[in-house]
This record gives sequence, structure tokens and C-alpha cells, in this order.
Amino acid sequence: MQTCFEHFAATSLLGSEEAPPRDNGALCFSHAWERRAFGLALALSKEGYFEWEQFREALIDSISRWEREHELDDPSWSYYHRWLDALMTVMARSGLVDRAQLGAIIGATELAQG
Amino acid sequence: MTGRFKYSEGREADSEAKVKALEDLLITKGVIGTTSVDQALSYFETEMGPFNGAKIVARAWVDPGFKQRLLSDTAAAIAELDFPPGMAGAEGEHLKIVENTPAVHNLIVCTLCSCYPWPTLGLPPYWYKDPTFRARAVREPRAVLAEFGVKLEESIEIRVWDSSAQIRWFVLPERPAGTEALSEVELAALVTPEAMMGVAQVSA
Repeated sequence: MQTCFEHFAATSLLGSEEAPPRDNGALCFSHAWERRAFGLALALSKEGYFEWEQFREALIDSISRWEREHELDDPSWSYYHRWLDALMTVMARSGLVDRAQLGAIIGATELAQG
Repeated sequence: MTGRFKYSEGREADSEAKVKALEDLLITKGVIGTTSVDQALSYFETEMGPFNGAKIVARAWVDPGFKQRLLSDTAAAIAELDFPPGMAGAEGEHLKIVENTPAVHNLIVCTLCSCYPWPTLGLPPYWYKDPTFRARAVREPRAVLAEFGVKLEESIEIRVWDSSAQIRWFVLPERPAGTEALSEVELAALVTPEAMMGVAQVSA
């Protein structure tokens, strides 16, 4: 029985490569924005703006896409850039934010790709 | 400064600006509150994590009565402690602790990562879900432990426990020598997730 959204969300990510970076049992962020992006995705899904599974699938897609386009040891790999990419994708699909407003933030080209 | 590094710095600044703009926009539109993100983060940073397991271990070290209750009915003993709701519920009801002694060392493995009791132990390390680690831990635990730096005398029995949806094991490590003067809080600070998985010992 799972009663808590944060618990469910974290557990659902632990199975595979979509699991977040962690160190000594704690979430591990390299930059402050990564922490905000992590919390933002959870907060939005918790409020019901999108299903966590939709986000998880978008994250897996974004990771797969990166892996197709890069060598696996490419040092530019960043888990939270994939996370942010997935967050933008589900936000664009959810209609939560006007596409023009979202485009102004993330750049029209990136949105078109999403 | 290399080209790669410059690129990377620009990219981080760009992402930081995007996330900030997104959060601000969502707050302005009333989609989320000003504290929504912090609330989601606090769950991982202050409510659920390896600090919970460390508290349980430290209490067991200083309170023999609690330790006895913990070993006989782990969930009921944990419920005595002042933890946020959810820990003793969703995961805690399946928790079971096994005690390391001078004669027995316990090691936990897991066949499904979804069974990992992370509200107590924290998020699992990368190697934990590696099938090779699990297979070797069961087949040759002494060799695996030695690779983790835990070198045990041949006379010490090693018990390997497999966590499942029904029972999530964790280890009560031995209290290190020379810690008699430490407070419960200071003791808890010594306890690592790896010690509660049995792949490390607690040192003072």
C-alpha cells in the first residue's frame, strides 16, 4: 500500500537508468537548479497536472534520444538536463502553460522538437 | 579553460534561468504555491532517508529494551519513535532488522529494487541492483565483503538476507568500540546506509 505521492514517485524511478543520481543514500545534485527542477516535477505531478508515469516515460524517452545521439562516455551527459527536457515536454503536452509563454522560456526551437 | 568547460558553464546558467523562469511563471499563474517545490524536496531531505535508519540504530545502541523490542517486532518498535507518518506504514510494516554480533555478520540483498526500504536506508547505490553483485553476494559473501573493505575472520558466520515485497531487511550494525561517551545523536551520525546494508562496519 502506497499512500504518499513522493514515496510512490521516487520508488517508480528506482528500477532502471531513469533513477536519479544519488550518493550515500541521498539525492545528489551538481547544481542548485537541478534540485529545483526535481522538486518542480514532483510538485506539479502531485497537484495532478500530469501523471507521474507520463513524466517517467518522457524521461526515459529523453535519455534514449540522448544515448542515440551521443557516445555513452560523452562527458556532456547530464541526468538533470534530461530531467528538464522531460519536464518541458510534459508541460507542453499538458497545456498547463500557454505554448507561447513556455516557448519564451525554453526557446521556440526546442519546443518545436518536443 | 577548455572549450568543453565553457560550453558547460553556459549550459548550466541557461538551465538555471529556465528553471527559475518556469517556477516563477507557475507561481504567478497560481498553478503551484510559493512553497510547493520546497515541500516536495523536504520529503527527501528531511523526512525520508538514511537518517531515519541511523536514528533507529543509535536508539538500539543506547537502549537495550528498545533493541529487544526492535529485534522481536521491528515495526512496533519503530512506531515508538517519532517518525513522520508513512515510514512505519507503506514500507515500515515490512521492515525487519537483523543484528550483527561478534559471531554473526548480516548482509542484505534485493531481487527487486522496488523492495528497497529507502525511507530508512536512503536511495539504493548503483551497484545494488547489479545482478552480478546479488549473485556473488549469495554465492561468495565473504569475498564480496572483503572487496567492500569488510574483512571478516573465518569464524564469523555470514548470513545473507534477500529483501522482497513481504520483508525488507536491514542490518543493526555493531556499535564501535570507544563510543561510550557519545550521545544518541552523535552515534546516529556515525551510521551509514552501507553499514545498514551490511557492506560496511561502523567506525568511530
